[in-house]
Amino acid sequence: MENLLALACLVLTVALYGLAKVLYRRTGNWWFAPLLAVPLLVIGMVVLGHIPYHTYFQDTHWLSWLLGPATVAFAIPIYEQRQMIRKHALSLSCGVLVAMPVAVLSSVWLARAFGLSELLQKSLAPRSISTPFALAAAPAIGGVPDLTAVFVVITGVCGMLLGEVMLVYLPVRSRLAKGALLGAAAHGAGTAKANELGHEEGVVASLTMMLGGIATVFAAPLIAWFV
Amino acid sequence: MTSLSTVALKQSLATLLQVVLLSLVWLLANRLSHRFVPAVPAGVLGMLLMLLALGLRCLPLSWCKSGARWLLAEMLLFFIPATVAVVQYPQLFASAGVRILLVIVLSTIMVMTVTSLVVDAGYRFEIMLKRRKRQHGVL
Repeated sequence: MENLLALACLVLTVALYGLAKVLYRRTGNWWFAPLLAVPLLVIGMVVLGHIPYHTYFQDTHWLSWLLGPATVAFAIPIYEQRQMIRKHALSLSCGVLVAMPVAVLSSVWLARAFGLSELLQKSLAPRSISTPFALAAAPAIGGVPDLTAVFVVITGVCGMLLGEVMLVYLPVRSRLAKGALLGAAAHGAGTAKANELGHEEGVVASLTMMLGGIATVFAAPLIAWFV
Repeated sequence: MTSLSTVALKQSLATLLQVVLLSLVWLLANRLSHRFVPAVPAGVLGMLLMLLALGLRCLPLSWCKSGARWLLAEMLLFFIPATVAVVQYPQLFASAGVRILLVIVLSTIMVMTVTSLVVDAGYRFEIMLKRRKRQHGVL
């Protein structure tokens, strides 16, 4: 019975995702954005159905598992775009080197200012990088990976919505800056948004996201010592 | 019609095999990272191995391209199960949820502002350098 329920959770999660994706593409209404609509519906279902989290995760953990191969898959766009990386090495590395400390320090300091516990401050620190990187960085910083994963997704949703607004108000014109804004602030969700703007924006966003992720993971011991 | 669906089937099968290949690379990287370099996460190590293989032309791009594209296109799906973990912390999100959201929104705005301004300035600097180089070339 429990196994059947676990399987039903997996099927439902994938089906809702597929449906949300189609509706979002057709209507452009951000309420249908897969990263917003599906978690809300699934969480509602799990809470109302009194489904224990370990039952939900029993089969859906395969979806999370695919984040590993997805990280490896980033090698392909990086390789394909090596010319562009070389061409814009300066601005891209400046962007990453500035974005990463701003993301980590502003998260920690704001959390401290709002009186959130030290554990929450540390779990919030790596929230702006892609999940696989964040999960690798969280324990080294002293955060709870489970919480960090949730904060990463909330960041993604906020980033997609805020990105649209910020792009209107910020005085930046280059495709490079627009892509970097979305990739640095909102990892995979931002990259998806950047791909909607254009191919170059998408590539820059994924690059910024990856480089930022790698940099944060390697800097994690330093961050742990600092916060 | 049949030939069209055969092509589509072959394409999906190729994508599936490539996803399996990328998963194997990840598993290998996982082993290596555990055994030799625990400081480097498996995903990052796997990506570096993959880049090396592509750069040294040990691995043709066509062997992993469609699999990689699929994994990256559906990445949002892989995030979803992790979000459901919030149900494990009902008190936390009831008592601190608003503050957490505020931290994330404000920090995201800061990151966006700073990053885009820096990259835009860097981009203009790159153009200026290129222009100057061209002028010197003419002289």
